[in-house]
Amino acid sequence: MTQKTEKQKESRYAKAIKIQKLSKVFHSESGSTVSALHDINLTVNSGEFITVLGATGCGKTTLLNLIAGLDIPDEGYLDLNDNLKFGMNIAYVFQHYTLFPWRTTLNNVAFALEMRGISKQERKLEAVKLLSKVGLEGFENAYTHELSGGMRQRAAIAQALAMKPKLLLMDEPFGAVDDSTRADLQRMIIQLWHENQITIIFVTHNIDEAIILGDRVLVLSERPGKIVNEFDVNLPRPRNHLTPEFTEFFMKIRQTLSGQLD
Amino acid sequence: MKQEEKKINSTDKKNSVTVILPAKHCQDGHAANFDWSKRIRSIVGIFVLLIIWQITAQYYDQPWIFPSVTRVLSQLAHPLREHYASGTLLSNTLISLLRVLLGFLFASIVGVTLGIVMGSISFIRDILEPVIELLRPLCPIAWLPFAIVIFKLKTLPQLFGINYSHTIFDQVQIGMIFVIFVGGFFPVLTNTLDGVASVRRNYLLLAKTLGASPVQIFYHVHLPAAMPMILTGLRQGLGLCWFVIIAAEMMTGSDSGIGYLLMYAADNSAMDIVIAAMLIIGAVGAMLSFLMRRVMFRFVGWKEKEI
Repeated sequence: MTQKTEKQKESRYAKAIKIQKLSKVFHSESGSTVSALHDINLTVNSGEFITVLGATGCGKTTLLNLIAGLDIPDEGYLDLNDNLKFGMNIAYVFQHYTLFPWRTTLNNVAFALEMRGISKQERKLEAVKLLSKVGLEGFENAYTHELSGGMRQRAAIAQALAMKPKLLLMDEPFGAVDDSTRADLQRMIIQLWHENQITIIFVTHNIDEAIILGDRVLVLSERPGKIVNEFDVNLPRPRNHLTPEFTEFFMKIRQTLSGQLD
Repeated sequence: MKQEEKKINSTDKKNSVTVILPAKHCQDGHAANFDWSKRIRSIVGIFVLLIIWQITAQYYDQPWIFPSVTRVLSQLAHPLREHYASGTLLSNTLISLLRVLLGFLFASIVGVTLGIVMGSISFIRDILEPVIELLRPLCPIAWLPFAIVIFKLKTLPQLFGINYSHTIFDQVQIGMIFVIFVGGFFPVLTNTLDGVASVRRNYLLLAKTLGASPVQIFYHVHLPAAMPMILTGLRQGLGLCWFVIIAAEMMTGSDSGIGYLLMYAADNSAMDIVIAAMLIIGAVGAMLSFLMRRVMFRFVGWKEKEI
């Protein structure tokens, strides 16, 4: 018993991702170059919830794309440990176009399982279970256009969880929903994180969201994208916006971001 | 938690989807009331036209130039009447339809296949696109003399070594099929090509992150995403095929089909048959378009409301 908990502890502190001196430059058609990321150093522990904060266009998405293997870095090292394998246990929830519009919600959630050749019956069972987990029971046969923005993101999260991911990358997934839905989705993602022991890297431009969710908040600067500061959010969960400690974090992060603007 | 959750829980499985679409219900209810007066108005226009036509025709009383509505209708009422030993309105319509369906089938198979290949392999696209752009603007009818010279008047059964099959297929000349093929091929090809090549990158990335292999991405993303465009191409292609066959049948060398009967009747001053044939051609064209629309809605209804 003690051995098992020790093992869990070990895996809790095992390094999932190690990034050293990572840089990425984009060349536009007009010939100008934009340094999207510059000298990123980051270690992500297994089971950690990291939020990445920064203004729009500061290379947050590029960072996720590099980790997801959708883009190739120009310089530096990116090591994935913990048996992380692209297409197997790294899931990615985008902000837009998170579902295939020609598939029903059920078939969207079952997509990853279908790609793995799992039988129709089995994947249906699993997808129904996941849909009820994200609060979408009864919407199995709905198409994307029949779902609200919040429902789509719920379905997208279920779709990602179907992979049984060890690492979940989220790119401003709640950027396009209203505040109350956003709060619901935040609670849900925390719940799922607790249940499934996954590492999450969550990109947002909302300071509140970053503090509510993250074990650690990384603040990225704009062009070139650099990690300018890092905050260990040691507040107990569930977190409350209306505590002095929360406000203190908010102020510190706000100042870091404002410092960037000057 | 919870506006959204309440909504979910308060609805049962069957009507949960319709509940979030109240607007659709309103429209349907509205349409039922609205349709009546609209339908009457749309009939009124046609009715007035028919009355003016009838009065004018009776006033001039020269049916070999301008036949009355009743004369035309009496031709339409007897679709099995033999004309000039060239068959009946019905038999010639069926011959034209058969030619179009065979040519269109051929054009669809080749057009969709080639469109998919060109849309997904840019190397092949680079080679073939100039050729296609060169041939595409050419009117399909302009191919007819060429097709007749190449294929003579060979029929489909003759292609398989049967000289005379005593079926309707004896009226299906290879040259005709070729011209219809040319008519239907280009819209099918270009639409399929665009559909396959212009799939949203996000969907490809999404499938990739979810573990789909390149082949799976092709089957589960490229194809369904391109389906609306493919069906649009097929609809346009079928419409064009029907245009092309009528024109082709009017040319020298043809001896059957509704286009042929129309031309032959005109030469014999049988304007009632000419107009009856025109009405049939229009009706068949509308029917083909309607059927293709139904197919489209059945298969790619999701596209209508994609956001």
